Amino acid sequence: MEQLYQLLRSCSWFAKVPDCVLFWVSVAVPIGLVLAVYPAIFAYTTLIERKALGRIQNRLGPNRVGRWGILQPLADGAKLLTKEDIVPRAADGFVHWLAPVIAVIPSILLFAVIPVGSGLIPVNLNIGVLFVFAISTASVLALFMGGWASRNKFSLLGAMRAVAQVVSYEVPMVLAAVVVVMAAGSLSTTAIAQAQGGGLLNITNWFVFRPWGFVGFVLFVIGAMAESARTPFDIPEAESEIIAGYHTEYSGFKFALFQLGEYLAALAMAGITATMFLGGYNGPGNDLKYIGWLVGAFWFFAKLMSIIFVIIWIRGTWPRIRVDQLLGFAWKVLLPMSIVNVLAAALYHFINPKPLAWVVTAVLLFIAWLVLTKVGAPQQIEKRVYRYAD
Amino acid sequence: MNYAFWIISAITLLGAFLAVTLRNLVHCVLSLILFFLGVAAHYFLLRADFLGAVQILIYIGAVAVLILFAIMLTRNVTGTEGPREVFGMKWWSGGVIAAAVAAFVLQAIKADSVTAATSTTQANSSVAEIGKALVADWVVPFEAMAVLLTAALIGAVVIALEEVMRRR
Amino acid sequence: MGSLGGGLFKGMAVTARNFFGSYFDKDRLVAVQYPEERIQTPENSRTFPFLVYDNTPDAMRCVACKICETECPPQCIYIVMDRDEKGKPMQRPKVFDIDISVCMQCQICVEVCPFEAIKMDNDYEKSQYGRFDELIEHLPDLLKSNDYYNKIKPTEAAAVDAKLKAEAEKKTKKAPAPAAKAAPKPAAPKPAPAPVAAPAAGKFVIPEDAPFTPEQRAWLAGFLSSGGSAGTATPVAEASASVGEAAEADASATETPAAEPAPAGDTPWHDPGLGMQQRMDLAKERPLADKLMAAMAQTDCHACGYDCRGYADAIAAGSEKDLSLCLPGEAETASMLEQLMKEDGKV
Repeated sequence: MEQLYQLLRSCSWFAKVPDCVLFWVSVAVPIGLVLAVYPAIFAYTTLIERKALGRIQNRLGPNRVGRWGILQPLADGAKLLTKEDIVPRAADGFVHWLAPVIAVIPSILLFAVIPVGSGLIPVNLNIGVLFVFAISTASVLALFMGGWASRNKFSLLGAMRAVAQVVSYEVPMVLAAVVVVMAAGSLSTTAIAQAQGGGLLNITNWFVFRPWGFVGFVLFVIGAMAESARTPFDIPEAESEIIAGYHTEYSGFKFALFQLGEYLAALAMAGITATMFLGGYNGPGNDLKYIGWLVGAFWFFAKLMSIIFVIIWIRGTWPRIRVDQLLGFAWKVLLPMSIVNVLAAALYHFINPKPLAWVVTAVLLFIAWLVLTKVGAPQQIEKRVYRYAD
Repeated sequence: MNYAFWIISAITLLGAFLAVTLRNLVHCVLSLILFFLGVAAHYFLLRADFLGAVQILIYIGAVAVLILFAIMLTRNVTGTEGPREVFGMKWWSGGVIAAAVAAFVLQAIKADSVTAATSTTQANSSVAEIGKALVADWVVPFEAMAVLLTAALIGAVVIALEEVMRRR
Repeated sequence: MGSLGGGLFKGMAVTARNFFGSYFDKDRLVAVQYPEERIQTPENSRTFPFLVYDNTPDAMRCVACKICETECPPQCIYIVMDRDEKGKPMQRPKVFDIDISVCMQCQICVEVCPFEAIKMDNDYEKSQYGRFDELIEHLPDLLKSNDYYNKIKPTEAAAVDAKLKAEAEKKTKKAPAPAAKAAPKPAAPKPAPAPVAAPAAGKFVIPEDAPFTPEQRAWLAGFLSSGGSAGTATPVAEASASVGEAAEADASATETPAAEPAPAGDTPWHDPGLGMQQRMDLAKERPLADKLMAAMAQTDCHACGYDCRGYADAIAAGSEKDLSLCLPGEAETASMLEQLMKEDGKV
């Protein structure tokens, strides 16, 4: 934003334009871009998700609206817009109305600190990572409000599950991000992305290629999936148990807003993951002259969509886990693992030469993983003996 | 800047007022969240980004959610059961305590030299500065807090374990 | 690897194989793009019934005998017989409606039809824009040619055609001979088990090996055929030995169980749900005309030109010589009529 402002001011064409106009233009353009690009990605992510899930199940997926179904998102939007908006009679009207709005706002705010390319960031906050966590916890409020205001036991159960889950997964997720902050020495997302530049083809310095970085990446993705309630952590809206959880009583465009918020949060989390662990916009050719920023943006979106694809792939494969398994996994496996990971990152910083540090931290983390999966593993169920069936 | 201050202050005060006057418990908590948000906005206005973000993270993300969760675990889930009148019998004792606290805080603000300066240049609250201050100048209170929190955590685990043992 | 999460990746590999495989291996995509592509339905698949006609829609096989209407469990068939100006039955339906919103596709109508007139279709595109009259199929919708039947179910239709041809040949060959000989074999001394022999029977048949005395059996038959309204009927133990009266006791519960002759005109056997054996039991000790009537199929189908009562009276009075006119009753009725006439000494 500031860069755009400087650029506009330095350009001789706009010499006559007053400063305040330039300022507001430089504010409005990034906001407009965020509001245009990411919801468009959201719309097509839903299509990609349905197509990919179809292919995973050996189906074709949507293919009727437009060629290959590319107009399907528009049809869905039109359908949801024209549907009747039903509010339960016993519902708390105002909170019921407010919940979907609250669901979307934090998700959009998250994109403010995601650098798409070198210098291409809406707002370069120096507390970017902290901002992300602060905002993403606020999204749980929407889930709670939606579930509570509906006056429906399934909605309330979904809301309770959502709150418990988000609060639990917040902790390992923050600790997983701490290693990145430690390595980059800054909370700013731009600085984190810059710290991963250089090396062979701009690839080898990505944090994911460090042992602690890899573990942090896995922990962070798990946390992000739980935070945005994606399968296998979708118990807040487990349709086979509690209908649709907190958005059971929502229809029409309010329901669409919930979906929008959820998908935007998932997209933003994928973007943050790409920035923090996968080098952000760093990739072969992003330091070229003139077109470097374009190559960087390409790499960024490629990484974002790959993460989204993996999340979809996981959704198509793994079954939903139980509530007690979910919380036990967060507190008994992820939390200790992330604390060990912080330790490993510190060790890596102080041990020289780096290849030795690499091996030492890798061994440490592997042992921690072995121990935790043994300790934290759920009790093995005895083989059942049947009295009559055998 | 001034307009922003007045608007945010109005919202903050409105949230605080609603939090103590509304009948429905959950509505009270939601108003409290509005109040927390207003305080965070004040921090941002003062260019204390870190404090603002932490305010949202801790107070909205943890404290308020914890209160909501506690309400949901009670039988009064809808939040509609509760005392009929807003001001209870002992409202004057609360008033006295509030007045005492306000006087104390006002005294502290008056006595402090930093607020007297009222300049934005001096309020350098970058994350690095805060970090260094915490682990260098204020390391003893910081560690004391850490020990306190750890003790509280262990205490919570012990209480939960007792419950589990009794059930067995 | 088990406890370390290896199984998770095995699953991921399977889904990845599906994902990429579906782009290269056409056999993986089993779904059919319905309106454009269709799967040939299996020959034995069935949806709703239709009526078969032979060459022109006028030559429909249905004679409006109403057996299907009676047998239909959800009662979705409604038939009105066609009559000429003089009121004489024309052996064909004027109205034949099937409510396909009620039809449960059980095929019982096809099982019971003695004329091979009603068959199961395999047309599944029956959706309509309304849910009341639109879902009732009328005679013109129901009538479909035998060629169509041959097309959708070649094997079954060929068997039916062969059977009909054989019957027609037999009829033309035996036409001059006495009609009584149309029966393939003389009536057995012990009537064959009702469920097998009588196509009309099937609703409330009491198994032959069920542990009932004849009185109990008759009472049960009457009870069941009257739709269970005999709650106040005389208990079996008090019923007289006369089976005819035991059944009657059901019809008029207040009647004393003494051996009184049944009032004329009362026809407890007039129920197509009963088997031949049961009907004959009910008509025992009755005049010849009643016995003859009990031998009919009880559908009042007018295929013979009378209703059941009228045909029986005509035979008893000697005005009708042909004993093979009862089409729904088939050979069983014909042989029973012949046997009754022999016993009476009129043949």
